[in-house]
Amino acid sequence: MSGPPEPTLHGEGLRAALASAWAPRETKLLAALLAICFLITLREPRFLQASNLEQVALSGTLVCIVALGQALLIVGRQIDLSVGAIVAWSAFVSAFWLSEHPNSSLALVFVIGIAVGTALGAANALLTAGLRIPAIVATLGTLAIYRGGIIVYAGGRQISATILPDKYGAVAQIHILGQSLLIWIALVLTVVLGWLARNTRTGRNVYAIGSNPEGAEFAGVGVRRHVALLFILSGMLCGLTGVLWGARFGTVDAVIAPDLQLQSISAVVVGGVSIFGGSGSVYGAAIGAAIFVVLQNGVQLLGFDQFWIPALLGAAILGTVLLYSRLANRADASAASNRSPRGGKIAS
Amino acid sequence: MKIQSLALRWETFLLLVLAVVLLLGAQASEHFLTASNISIALAGMMPVAIVALPMTLIIVTGEIDISVGSTIGLCASIMGACLERHLPVEFAMASGLAAGALAGLFNGVMVVVFGLPSLVVTIGTLALYRGLAQIILKERGVNSFPDWYQQIGFGTIGDTPIPWSVILFVALFLGFGFFLHLTHGGRAIYAIGNNREAARYSGVSVGRAIVAAFVASGMVCAVAAIVLTAYLASARSDTAIGLELQVITAVVLGGVNIFGGSGTLVGVLIALFVLAFVKNALGLIGMTPEQQDIVTGAVLVGTLIIFGASRNVGEARNWFARLRINRP
Repeated sequence: MSGPPEPTLHGEGLRAALASAWAPRETKLLAALLAICFLITLREPRFLQASNLEQVALSGTLVCIVALGQALLIVGRQIDLSVGAIVAWSAFVSAFWLSEHPNSSLALVFVIGIAVGTALGAANALLTAGLRIPAIVATLGTLAIYRGGIIVYAGGRQISATILPDKYGAVAQIHILGQSLLIWIALVLTVVLGWLARNTRTGRNVYAIGSNPEGAEFAGVGVRRHVALLFILSGMLCGLTGVLWGARFGTVDAVIAPDLQLQSISAVVVGGVSIFGGSGSVYGAAIGAAIFVVLQNGVQLLGFDQFWIPALLGAAILGTVLLYSRLANRADASAASNRSPRGGKIAS
Repeated sequence: MKIQSLALRWETFLLLVLAVVLLLGAQASEHFLTASNISIALAGMMPVAIVALPMTLIIVTGEIDISVGSTIGLCASIMGACLERHLPVEFAMASGLAAGALAGLFNGVMVVVFGLPSLVVTIGTLALYRGLAQIILKERGVNSFPDWYQQIGFGTIGDTPIPWSVILFVALFLGFGFFLHLTHGGRAIYAIGNNREAARYSGVSVGRAIVAAFVASGMVCAVAAIVLTAYLASARSDTAIGLELQVITAVVLGGVNIFGGSGTLVGVLIALFVLAFVKNALGLIGMTPEQQDIVTGAVLVGTLIIFGASRNVGEARNWFARLRINRP
């Protein structure tokens, strides 16, 4: 090579830094999210109004918190179909407690909601990790049991904001540095869980289990202990979401969040987590949840019929996974790896 | 077959569960074992039962189809749209079947040609097909079906209490059962579920078989849409929401391995009977549909736990044996 070395090195260093910042899937996802926002703004500048952005962020947070637990489960080759029913349990029980004891402290309400979620998550853990029933089957059963249970327990009652103390709804109105408390909770949880998954032994073990459960077992990883932990964590996050749900919407009944399992799995998949486990990140799932709410908001703002929303979301899911598989194939080809292109289904 | 191995089969165990359900049901209500009640119980189960047949094939290959409920909704909406334009019912049914076949073909092509996981593809088409159904019919309900059409859902053959939909199901069951258990193609389905690579090297055209299973699923969903619209005497875009969960519950309760490779249609048939009679008996003693859901979920989880208990006992014994060996 001829020419002065210094600028070349400098240029290459910059390019390498840019390339390594561009390389993670999360950066591309973030770019895609911004591009979608930009396109919506071009057609409808109202999108960027602070009030609209806040509404988008608020509806994103609840799905996001559930998607964090779902992402870790799917990374570990598990899945939880009962998340929506757990959220309904937590929301109803905590709101009901508050309506009966209007003077109890909010901290206690949060503890109750999270405890309910943790207990239901622990029951899932018992079935999957303890009794070795495949996660997709076990949580299909608990989905029916939990949802039916809360509908029977609630008995058609609806707890509305009028009978709840004002301080509960005020939780959703708290603003820190101009942002809602709910958004901060989701952000902090995303960053903390993402860091833990990447940098702690337990987190790395979850990836190991997802890549190769038998290999992980032989390497001395307690597979069942980790699987149980993942289900309990997901239950806790659903419990927290339930309490926040009541604070945000004011009205709680037994049939809230009916599609949450599909929404959270879609967010996780669009966020780049492989459904076969072992790859992807919590950050991706959070961005996936954001992409979903932005798309939904965009469809409404651009004046599409609301009947179009499910079709467009379905097309978005299919388009994203198609894109991912093309990217993965290209990466495979360039690395000249001869890995089998098809995995198995989610193993227990 | 030896008696011992017969006794250990899942199907035998399920027959016991069915016997318990029938006994408890007969205890609970004197109307339970009457011909008209059994007829009602079976007619209500038929849409789920019909779709469970191709779902068994798909799950045995190691794939899954979450989009069946939405496919039924799409077929029902297309049939409704045809009737709104005063086209003949026969044409509407043919359009529904064509739509179902296309929907299944799309799923199959995404899975086989593009190599995407079926769980993800059909979660996507679950939203997509339901969305298309909503775009077609919006919130309208179409109920201009002729009388003979409604007989498919509720009518019985002559004076017997046997519903027409059950005859339809029996015909489909015999067809699917013959294919899966008595033909070369059926064995290939199991081979694909057990070891896809080995099946490919043995000359099984894996991709074609999987696409065919998804197309069969789509077409059978159209049949289920016909039965369901006839049963409800109305076609709406929200027809059969959540049906996929009931179908997968029946198939898994029938002893089909969710990861593919094993299970029989006889098991699925018994499981369908169990589910139909559990729901019916609970309804007779005045339980709400939500309470019935709890019991259905408990039956699924409980059956899996009890049947898995023997295996768990064996594992525990091995674990203790290992402890003893490891002790210095």
